[in-house]
Amino acid sequence: MGIVRGEEMVLNIGPQHPATHGVLRLQVKTDGEVVSQITPYMGYLHRCFEKHCENVTYEQVIPFTDRCDYLSSMSMNFGYVVAMEELMDIKVNERVEHIRVTMAELQRIASHLLCTGVFGLDLGAFTPFLWALRDRERILDLFELTCGARLLYNYMWVGGLSHDIPNGFVESTYEFLDYFEPKVDELENILAHNKILVERSADIGVMPKDVAISYGVTGPNLRASGVNWDLRKNDPYSIYDRFEFNVPVGEGIKGTVGDCWDRFYVRILEIRESVKIIRQALASMPKDGDVHQSLPKKLRPPKGSIYSRTETPRGDLGYYIESDGSPIPYRLKMRSPAFTALSVMDEIGAGWLLSDVLAILGSLDIVLGEIDR
Amino acid sequence: MTDSKEKLIAELVNKGLDGDMDAVNACEDRMIRAKAKAMIVKVGKGTAERPPLPEAVSSVVSEVLPKETAPVEVNKNVNQKVKDMVENEFPGSTIDGDDFIQLYPQKWFEIASWLRKEESLFFDSLQCQMGVDIGEENLESRYNLHSMKHDHYVEIRIAVSRSSPKIPSVEQIWRIADWFERETYDMLGIEFVGHRDLRRILLPDDWEGWPLRKDYQEQETYHGIVVPKVKEGWE
Repeated sequence: MGIVRGEEMVLNIGPQHPATHGVLRLQVKTDGEVVSQITPYMGYLHRCFEKHCENVTYEQVIPFTDRCDYLSSMSMNFGYVVAMEELMDIKVNERVEHIRVTMAELQRIASHLLCTGVFGLDLGAFTPFLWALRDRERILDLFELTCGARLLYNYMWVGGLSHDIPNGFVESTYEFLDYFEPKVDELENILAHNKILVERSADIGVMPKDVAISYGVTGPNLRASGVNWDLRKNDPYSIYDRFEFNVPVGEGIKGTVGDCWDRFYVRILEIRESVKIIRQALASMPKDGDVHQSLPKKLRPPKGSIYSRTETPRGDLGYYIESDGSPIPYRLKMRSPAFTALSVMDEIGAGWLLSDVLAILGSLDIVLGEIDR
Repeated sequence: MTDSKEKLIAELVNKGLDGDMDAVNACEDRMIRAKAKAMIVKVGKGTAERPPLPEAVSSVVSEVLPKETAPVEVNKNVNQKVKDMVENEFPGSTIDGDDFIQLYPQKWFEIASWLRKEESLFFDSLQCQMGVDIGEENLESRYNLHSMKHDHYVEIRIAVSRSSPKIPSVEQIWRIADWFERETYDMLGIEFVGHRDLRRILLPDDWEGWPLRKDYQEQETYHGIVVPKVKEGWE
């Protein structure tokens, strides 16, 4: 039976729509229920990040990086300070490195919890979302204990941290991990093997390896397509080379490698790996060490440029910093992982039903703050 | 003091007495350096004896260390090698540069397809593309390429004049270049020739000017809304 083509209809999803995870407009061409083309329109949240950076000093950039990806601010801080320290050739002490890794991995858990919860919500499962947020709340409490902020931390500074961890932080974190580990199994059981979710996400929106690489898709989305690529393993920064952890890749358990279910499931597996890393980092954290020890008085990087990448919960975050020797960046470019993930939308989303498009968008885990900058 | 440190000091003192003071100064541990220097002075004055050269240490150092450090020193940045290969394949297309490959814009599309296909290079991933206003009437587009297969990377820079900024588009070689180039066009007004959908991406379609150029002046009003000015010197 041939395909009967009807009259095409143009439909706007967003800018105000809960499933777009922010202010994003997807212009979809539909033929009945089948989507033939998707054109994302963004920029509704554009706050001139790169233009602002050319007017403030290097220290003042850090709060801006928080606001780019407001769901994983620690990782955004981390990427920036790693780039700056490489550019200025600053070595930070062991304690700082351990605290940074702990925070970044806690942030990864928080971000993945939100992503998996919201993915369920997109497909109609309401309870797991509340479970995920309940556990995420405890991580935010740990952050609040440390630096007073729950979402936008401004915690990692070039050469150190804004505050040392408070008394009792290590114990509270252990307590949280002990509580949290069984909860991950619970979340997996209610969500990952749920018949409805599997039907809605397995074999849907398959992203082959070469497409993912060509579109610059990174992070969990790339790994779900079966590419074993994690900067923490392949190009280690900070002290990630000291920890034992696995890099989960998509195996197509419920359908094809690189489908929505794989992208979702890789994140659940990554939560477990992050727990492992936090335990190791807490165990080997040195007791003494001043977190302000190598803080430079004034940030004046030498003339030159650097492109540095780190692994955030959403993928490779790159900072290209061009310095002319003054205390103000000459040009700062953020290569954001969600930007590249959204660009693949038309390629893998076209040809599916309208309801599948929302599942695909949810599985890519985009944050509009980082796309629009 | 441990055995190995004493041996190291003895070795440094011997080197210093033989005239190789650079080796002593290159020692990173401040304490060992100071002790070695003090002993050299003492030997010179005749108040101390020249320590015996510790054979064991030097042989261990020369045999074991290079093997262990070899994997660490693998240079993933292959700029110089790739530059020679490009110059070989496309004569007259490169300009001298230290940490990057500077190209003329004319043959960029051909070079890019070759970089993508050539088996020994295989740059299958475009990590980052950005534009920068480098002053002196020039704009520059920079590409950070990475190979997933070989795990090496290069940086390529292409400078064009501000009056007619035209660079061949590589949007059909690396698909992500589609949006990267749109963003660079949006912010700096570099025109990517051959791009199939070159529109503004983050700013509204009817915005005037190229914000990330250094001589950018904001438009006064946009659809009747007053555009706030960027303050001189941040408070």
